[in-house]
Amino acid sequence: MTDAADAQASLEAMLKDEIIRMYQEVADQPQGEFHFFHGREAAELFDYVPEWLDRAPPAAVASFAGVGNPHERSNLRPGETVLDLGSGAGLDAIIASWVVGPTGRVIGVDLNPSMCLKAQAHAAASGVSMDCHEGRMEDIPVADASVDVVISNGVINLSFRKRRVVEEVYRVLKPGGRISITDIVSAKQLSQSIVNDPKLWAS
Amino acid sequence: MFRLLEESGFTRVRSAVVPRFRFRKSSTQNAAEAYGVKAVMMMAVKPGGDSGAAA
Repeated sequence: MTDAADAQASLEAMLKDEIIRMYQEVADQPQGEFHFFHGREAAELFDYVPEWLDRAPPAAVASFAGVGNPHERSNLRPGETVLDLGSGAGLDAIIASWVVGPTGRVIGVDLNPSMCLKAQAHAAASGVSMDCHEGRMEDIPVADASVDVVISNGVINLSFRKRRVVEEVYRVLKPGGRISITDIVSAKQLSQSIVNDPKLWAS
Repeated sequence: MFRLLEESGFTRVRSAVVPRFRFRKSSTQNAAEAYGVKAVMMMAVKPGGDSGAAA
């Protein structure tokens, strides 16, 4: 490896740790104050259907840390297979499961194995099943051309290798498959001090 | 992201700003505004098959 590649790998490892720490904290201490809106307050801000929020396990709602509402334009249909990239505590996956119904399937992928366990428990408590795989969005642990719809909420911006993530999303989608993603974008190049600081980047 | 989606082969790439997104802390919000940070919704289709994506 070159020095630059070593530095990039080291930064990515630190970023992974920081992402796991930050979003674990949201899930474990949802009453805490974060620099972003989270929980029911955030979901209502983004027009999540109130009945969904009443019906979902309170802990899944309280841990919500999305930046928008990918369900607004996902047009999910019964029987479809959905991948929730960065599924966190599972709220978006649970909502997708309700929509695709028992003939459909929802797969979650999350960097943090304990979040996967949490999401699956929340899904079970909601009367649906969800397969959640620990993995990175740059190397999605899902077969080629196996998914009808990819949803994601505030996750892809956390990657240093967004092109690779988009290529992976393309790979797992079936021909004709689609994405409905909400995420953070920046009009200007972030300063090197932000890029080199995992705490700021994870934010 | 929009460009990455197109370059990766996606078609019907569309985006819309999430109108009510903002950071809770004003210091973070101010810094975000300085960089033109916003939340967006992105929709796109992988060519082929029978897409269910609505306009």
